[in-house]
Amino acid sequence: MAAYFLRRIGYGVITLLGVLLLLFVLFFAVTDPDDIARKAVGERARPEVYAQWKTNHGYDKPLIINTGATGAGRFTDTLLAEHYRRMLTFDFGRSDADDSPISRRLREGALPSLGITVPLFVMGLVVSVAVALFVAFFRETYIDRVVLVLCMLTMSVAGLLYIIAGQYLVGQLLRWFPISGFDPNPAVVARFLALPVLVGVLSGFGADTRFYRTIFLEEIGRDYVRTARAKGCGDARVMVRHVLRNALIPILTNVVVQIPFLFTGALLLESFFGIPGLGALTVEAIQGNDFSTLRTMVYLGALLFIAGQILTDISYALADPRVRLG
Amino acid sequence: MRSHSAAMALLAALAAGVAAAGCTNNPYPQADRDKKVLYSSFHDAPKTLDPAVAYTTAEHVITGNVYDTLLEYHYLARPYRLIPGLAVSVPKGQDLPDGRQTYRFQLRPGVLFHPDPCFPPDATGRRTREVTAADLAFALARIADPAVNSPVIGSFAQIEGFADFSKRLEDLRRSDKAFAALPIREQYAKAGGIAGVLVHGGHELQIVLSQANAQILYWFAMPFTTPVAWEAVAAYDGKDGRDSFADHAVGTGPYRLALYEKQFRFSLARNELWYGTLSTNSDAPGAVFPTEIDPKDSIEGRIDPAYAGRRLPFVDRVTFYREREGIPQFNKLLEGYYDDGGIIKESFDAVIQNGRLSPAMRARGMRLDVTVEPSIFYVGFNMEDPVVGTPAGERGRKLRQAMSVAVDSRQYLELFLNGRGLPAQTLLPPEIFGYDSSYKNPFRQYDVERARQILADAGYKNGIDAATGNRLKLSFDTSATTAAASLQFEYLANSWRQIGIDVEINATTYNQFQDKVRHGAYQIFSWGWLADFPDPENFLFLLACENARSKNGGPNTASFCNAEFDSLYHQMKYLPNNARRADLIRRMLAILERERPWIELYHLEEFVLSHAWLVNSKPMGISYPAYKYKDVRPELRARLQGEWNAPLRWPLYLVLCAIVALTVPAVRTYYRERL
Repeated sequence: MAAYFLRRIGYGVITLLGVLLLLFVLFFAVTDPDDIARKAVGERARPEVYAQWKTNHGYDKPLIINTGATGAGRFTDTLLAEHYRRMLTFDFGRSDADDSPISRRLREGALPSLGITVPLFVMGLVVSVAVALFVAFFRETYIDRVVLVLCMLTMSVAGLLYIIAGQYLVGQLLRWFPISGFDPNPAVVARFLALPVLVGVLSGFGADTRFYRTIFLEEIGRDYVRTARAKGCGDARVMVRHVLRNALIPILTNVVVQIPFLFTGALLLESFFGIPGLGALTVEAIQGNDFSTLRTMVYLGALLFIAGQILTDISYALADPRVRLG
Repeated sequence: MRSHSAAMALLAALAAGVAAAGCTNNPYPQADRDKKVLYSSFHDAPKTLDPAVAYTTAEHVITGNVYDTLLEYHYLARPYRLIPGLAVSVPKGQDLPDGRQTYRFQLRPGVLFHPDPCFPPDATGRRTREVTAADLAFALARIADPAVNSPVIGSFAQIEGFADFSKRLEDLRRSDKAFAALPIREQYAKAGGIAGVLVHGGHELQIVLSQANAQILYWFAMPFTTPVAWEAVAAYDGKDGRDSFADHAVGTGPYRLALYEKQFRFSLARNELWYGTLSTNSDAPGAVFPTEIDPKDSIEGRIDPAYAGRRLPFVDRVTFYREREGIPQFNKLLEGYYDDGGIIKESFDAVIQNGRLSPAMRARGMRLDVTVEPSIFYVGFNMEDPVVGTPAGERGRKLRQAMSVAVDSRQYLELFLNGRGLPAQTLLPPEIFGYDSSYKNPFRQYDVERARQILADAGYKNGIDAATGNRLKLSFDTSATTAAASLQFEYLANSWRQIGIDVEINATTYNQFQDKVRHGAYQIFSWGWLADFPDPENFLFLLACENARSKNGGPNTASFCNAEFDSLYHQMKYLPNNARRADLIRRMLAILERERPWIELYHLEEFVLSHAWLVNSKPMGISYPAYKYKDVRPELRARLQGEWNAPLRWPLYLVLCAIVALTVPAVRTYYRERL
């Protein structure tokens, strides 16, 4: 078991180093640091100001080989080495756009992001799994067909439309929740998160429910279900104790991969609902050519994805002993 | 078991009903309902609040209210007029015998900085201190400091010794590490200060200019020149976890920055120590509501005459929330949760009908204010290009004239801006000295046939080059790659295609575009300009040769160089507004009419919607957003918000019923089959 975990972690580390190399090519080799500096301090700033800005933001070194240095410094005193050092030690530096420390922005944005993504994830999962179990049980009845129509409807609508329609319908016509906004005060924060969570759950409902229903139907047709029923096991017990448990592997595959992205926020939802989370931060970094923040977000996304993959593998091994033997 | 499930369903329905009963779309705390709080929104987060650097509208919303200036703009007077702010009066320039000019500002006594931990406690325990003329000199030194990277450093170059001080400071920092490690104030003192900035006693600041410049006073009505506390700059250096001065405003204004979460919200709270509250300043022009009220402003409900002469400010707090998207922001404005705001393109036709507010908006008591911004949006030619520029001589001139006649600004505005703009005849907008409303630029009257004729005169009949027999091909370079921008450029290209010119649009990244501009590898571009101050010089300098992009990297992106224009520009530049200046401007505009380095498209119009409870809100155009003049009527706001936003609960009960209707037969079937 330990060897299995170590092997998986080893693969993850190698992938991460590769991602960092790709990031370096995209953000340093393709994008000229001089252009980044010019964009940040303005076209008409003096050369000394450019130079100072580049020094402050760590863009003042040669890319891969420092011909001005000697010994190991030729390779360690470079942008490439600095890039690896900073990312691996989580020293993300300052935003190219407004000079604010990126770590602080991450700290400030993490809670609002989790505030929306965690309830969205949990509620989405619970609702989809529950409805999928329900319709799997009542398969080929009017309930199954009604839910099928609902699922197809929700799958056919673009994500952005959910947001705009949700804001219009729930915020403006029914006036149940604020159209947008955020207040970190725990006493009132739920009022601001309710609508984005509702919209998020609804937009993901169709695809998830259909996926889980398929899994459950596959399990329901298996021999062990017939055996359980033959032994007098009740329907509820069969569905929850046997079908649900045996369907865990594909559910885990779908679920665990999503967990790391809870930390990177919801791009559209945060942007439209005015939630100051990491998703909105990423959108803003893209729009504002804030390369250092964008680099950090891409790196964290990759890191969390790799972590998610490792977690999935571990959860497989825990859920199904055959995996670790394979 | 059956009764247990039914009870659970009933409980769930009840819980949902109770939850819905407590729901409302009001995003603000109930406790603020009756308070004098003004609510507004912002789109882009401010990058810096350092008054020497802050330059965007989002930043000036804060710096314009937190930092006081020596002078300010009269809130109601148009054309714009300067009045004293922190200064006792607007100084008159004194001409010195050697051609230099000097201004003496008398600072009001008793002005205090906002209380802040950066100040040591005084005898009463307050952490503040009085503003002195040295704080004004310190602010000017910061603008000159190359390390501060003020975007307006060039605008003060006429102050004697300004550039020398910059250079001295830079040299000393480079050559002497011990000097560079000194606190900023000591560095400035050791570098000898700016020769043309003199402090006399505690309350007089004198500036000496190398030549007469009446326009310099406008810069003292901008937050760049606000007094700066050296203690704040020293304390908030952004090092070792300390705040940065760019995020920590310590000013003297009528409001202080009470909350600053710049990615999300900020709040300005009334400054109880503001100079306007002192009895000695009861008649200070910047501390009382103006008494000269245009009858039109009061008739149209913009200004309440009852406020004339009353002490400022009126609202206790101004709170801003970030809205990254226009649709939710506008919907919240319609719900009454923002007190004023612009109109989004998607809803323009529903809000404005036949040039005025729709009946639905009027029924809500909303008011529409339309003002022409001191701006110019234009298409420019690279005047160094061999085909469209000066090297092409008369042929190039006629080509530019033909292209100018072929563009219909009015249709462009209707198609892309809901008509929110004034077709431009020259680069000068209304309210700017030199603007002539009766003037019609002969090359800005849309006429395709005439454009074709001029093009034929240029030797490009139907767009075919008579010399080569090939169709004339030009490139339009831009850094705007959005779909909306592409459509606008396509419209312009089509305008020229209809007279036979083939124009290719080259949309690249911002950096690539800048690179092209730097290397002169472009022919046609599109740009805009919003003036810093209400003076024709602030527009005409955009075409002065000394500001040519190709020569000095300046804002004259067309790199237009015309000796006669430059000569007139230098004569006009620092003159006060008089008949001679008007004549010089007319002659300059005549050159631009003929030479056509630009095709002037439009002056942007700002449409602002205000609710009935917002009082004394007049669009400010070029001046800075001054919340001290505005007031709200919270009781009216609360009543109307309540009427407009009563939650509709029956759909919730309907949904709950639908869920029960779907679930109950299923549960019954389940139990029936099990029995």
